[in-house]
Amino acid sequence: MKVFPLIFERKKETPTEYIKKPDIAIKNPEEFFPSHFLRTQLNLPSLSEPTVVRHFTNLAMRNFSVDTHFYPLGSCTMKYNPKLNEELAFQDEFIFLHPYQKEEDFQGILEIIYDLEKLLCEITGMERFSFGVSAGAHAELVGMLIVNAYFKKRGEKRKKVIIPDSSHGTNPASASMCGFEVEVVKSRDDGLINIEELKKIVDQNTAAIMLTNPNTLGLFEEEILKIKEIIKKNGALIYYDGANFNALLGITKPSLMGCDIIHLNLHKTFSAPHGSGGPGLGAVGVRKDLVSFLPVPLVDKKNDHYYLNYNLENSIGRVRSFYTNIVPLIKAYSYILRLGKEGLKRIAQISVLNANYIREKLKDIFLVSSPKRCMHEVVFSCKEKKEKGVTAQDIAKRLIDYGIHPPTMYFPLIVKEALMIEPTETESKDTLDYFIEVMKKINQEIKESPSILKDAPLLSFTKRVNETQAARNPILRWEKCGV
Amino acid sequence: MSYIPHTQQDIEKMLQDIGLSSIDELFLQIPSSLKIKDLNIPSALPEKNLKEKIRKLAKKNNPLYNFNSFLGAGIYSHYIPSALKYLSNQPQFLTAYTPYQAEISQGILQALYEYQSYICILTGLEVSNASLYDGASALAEAVLMSLRINKKNKVLLSRSIHPQYREVVKTYLAPHDFIIKEIPFTEKGFLDLKILEEELEDASCFALQSPNFFGLVEDLGKIRRIVKEREVILILVTNLLSLAILKEPSQEGVDIVCGDTQVLGGFPSWGGSTCGFLAAKKEFLRQIPGRLVGETCDKEGKRAFCLTLQTREQHIRREKATSNICTNHSLEAIRTAIYLALLGREGFEKVALYSLNLAHYLYECLGKIKKVDFPFSSRFFNEFVWKIDNAKRVLEKLYEKKIIGGLLLEKYYPELKDCVLSFTPETKTKEEIDEFISILSSIV
Amino acid sequence: MDKLFFTKTHEWVKIEDGTALVGITDYAQKELGDVVFVELPKKGEKFRQFSRFGTIESTKAASEIYLPLSGEIIEVNEALNKNPELINQSPYEGGWIVKIRIEDKKEVENLLDETSYEKFLKESS
Repeated sequence: MKVFPLIFERKKETPTEYIKKPDIAIKNPEEFFPSHFLRTQLNLPSLSEPTVVRHFTNLAMRNFSVDTHFYPLGSCTMKYNPKLNEELAFQDEFIFLHPYQKEEDFQGILEIIYDLEKLLCEITGMERFSFGVSAGAHAELVGMLIVNAYFKKRGEKRKKVIIPDSSHGTNPASASMCGFEVEVVKSRDDGLINIEELKKIVDQNTAAIMLTNPNTLGLFEEEILKIKEIIKKNGALIYYDGANFNALLGITKPSLMGCDIIHLNLHKTFSAPHGSGGPGLGAVGVRKDLVSFLPVPLVDKKNDHYYLNYNLENSIGRVRSFYTNIVPLIKAYSYILRLGKEGLKRIAQISVLNANYIREKLKDIFLVSSPKRCMHEVVFSCKEKKEKGVTAQDIAKRLIDYGIHPPTMYFPLIVKEALMIEPTETESKDTLDYFIEVMKKINQEIKESPSILKDAPLLSFTKRVNETQAARNPILRWEKCGV
Repeated sequence: MSYIPHTQQDIEKMLQDIGLSSIDELFLQIPSSLKIKDLNIPSALPEKNLKEKIRKLAKKNNPLYNFNSFLGAGIYSHYIPSALKYLSNQPQFLTAYTPYQAEISQGILQALYEYQSYICILTGLEVSNASLYDGASALAEAVLMSLRINKKNKVLLSRSIHPQYREVVKTYLAPHDFIIKEIPFTEKGFLDLKILEEELEDASCFALQSPNFFGLVEDLGKIRRIVKEREVILILVTNLLSLAILKEPSQEGVDIVCGDTQVLGGFPSWGGSTCGFLAAKKEFLRQIPGRLVGETCDKEGKRAFCLTLQTREQHIRREKATSNICTNHSLEAIRTAIYLALLGREGFEKVALYSLNLAHYLYECLGKIKKVDFPFSSRFFNEFVWKIDNAKRVLEKLYEKKIIGGLLLEKYYPELKDCVLSFTPETKTKEEIDEFISILSSIV
Repeated sequence: MDKLFFTKTHEWVKIEDGTALVGITDYAQKELGDVVFVELPKKGEKFRQFSRFGTIESTKAASEIYLPLSGEIIEVNEALNKNPELINQSPYEGGWIVKIRIEDKKEVENLLDETSYEKFLKESS
């Protein structure tokens, strides 16, 4: 049964007109191209603006979002997206700029990029930043390309990148896209990197280690300085995945941890919205002797004039058609200025407080993944609920019935039946108390009537979706499209 | 200041419940040598001051609408209906994330499914993903995809693909041992078929752009006949707007189509964010990078959508994934779907038809100026190349009169001295073109 | 159950004369969840013991499958293309994956028998 029509299933209407016919003779395509170049059918729907608006407004209404629900998706930092930033970033003077205009015509955006870079350098201790990466994973790819270029320049053949078993999937995928072999270093039972294991696998073939700190269990890698020593002694590089930087703003800097190349996610830590899965923006920061390897261009200033600097001796090149995503960039800039130095530190303090509060209140009914205090996110294991036949996924689906977006499930891989909860600093105590109450209620349901969870969600319009069928029999486009 | 709701009492109560007396105790595990005192950045700015500051910075830009602009070259200024931004920026699209939980993301999933379907209708190919970052990275992913599929190691790239796209492909391939060969264009501006034929041996894929960077429409039928007898994967970078008029690439044996959807409802935005699209034949399904939205049903039998074939992706397959992409450019894809929905078939055809006609009108008018030459053929879509002595100086003079004549090509193609690439959107008026021509005439 | 041998990566092999049938164990299919796709090798392909000969995908995981004994693929279970769920429903019978011609019977010494496999499962959980 089809309840919400696809745009293609709606009856044909007269589309709203937006353009005036030009004042010249309009010839048909046949006059310009041989007929065998031309299309014979175009099966696109025609609808009026009122219908299209109703269609997409209704679609929007059928989603949970940060603006509507508590969204503790671990590892994603789903914090409040300030509306001021929307207003400032979407100004016509920004969105109607063409990248091939003269430099003097976009001094404003260059100044913002330049200033934002300086702010991020201060916040992280790195020497320079490039914003020429579309997302965190894209930044990781650039990081790996820099590692590759760095050792190539030194004439050293190093093919291995070390990645903790708790890492986000993009880490090994990025290393692999760059031709590196991935070697996994195991975590200890308490969730931190096993230093003894690390010592065993670091060798002359190691190009780099990719680290997230706090790691994906929300734990600060306490022995980071030891890790730094082991890696540095071997001449390898440290890549810092900054996805969890929310916990460390104003508290410490990756440069102090010995990181050579870092990335930040401007759509996580710096409040740019996630847009249903992007666009976000990554930023790649490096220490001084790696600056020449960054993607081109960088933004520099001479006297009072800002310019695009393409003169990077060892640059790995570009990974984007054009430089950067200006809208999330302006939002991050606005955010940092709005919060100021006190506000940034407060983010770290309260995000860590919020996660620890949840940890404390739920640790007696769900297994905490580590005895150590967490930072901005906490990971629980639901494995003992399996005795009642209930999985982490069932619990996640039941949360929907209580108006809460589920946390991240089944990640990190080293925790069985994991639920990763990152509340962020913009959730009130009241919201957290509600969440805690709901989790306790669900725990009761697991004991008394676990079948409710197997059937969850019960109250949403769309019930549990059959993902198996979607994978067994992939239907990836509207079938009657004549393709 | 921050967007933090906690009162002092809240914080104290929470600390108490955790068994701590101060927030600093939450950070004891961090070695003191790593702790910093203060960040050396300005203190918080009130909203009003911040607005003024950024408005001032905005005013230091001189956007396209202050000019009579003919700039294209990969970023196009077609008209964007007001309803588009209004719809795409709704909070439940803007502040949601990837639709991992299908039950509560049906809106996003359906919008992306509609986007995938639109791309399939336009290109004729059977599978489209739910967005990549941009056209250049989409091309790079298409090339990597081919290399995974047939495991050969030579890549052929047409030199008339956008220069920055080719740079990105080279960056992505740099750490590997693949060979990249560029196929030149003839003096008419079209692909050199003879050289293509010579280089096809052992190639994994051949990528070309049509309409190419110079706006010229290639003869895909001829190219297909040459390429397909060698079992080389054919990749086409295209302008989706041109597909309102031109035949579906699938009918010309194209295996993978990719490019940028900015041309359909994306603001120029200084080049970002835009949206990369990639569509392919069904047989390559499991090698496609990026998210895929599939149709299925829920427990009650109602139609529903969900992310599918996720085992290709990094969060499951890790180092064996088809790509490392996670956050992509979903919202831009949704914007593309909204644009096509608002315009409808008739509107979409008109944008293409008017843009095409206006470009040819400009071409005719330029042709009447004695000093203007055309190095290439006239079989172009809505962009073309013209040549004039001292083009740099000519463009400067035009600029003084608030006209941006086009993109000077010498920087990207040194042999194309004094050549300019010009574009006309459907919104260009006869008056604006006539103004351009009259001022140009007075300059030369 | 006929005499089956097992690998530590949860494949089973049933030897019949010079050939053997190969599949994955009940434990493995449970861990994977609903199987949605099987990447099968081609007839005639040869593999060493414990080398990867295919992949099994569920909605949430993709598992490499490793050949318990060196051999040449003489048959593949084409039914799995249309009905991958056979692996869940009947992992030891209808869900068989390939039939091989065994190269070296002595390689069985590197495998676990049923008791050792069950012990191995208990220890790893």
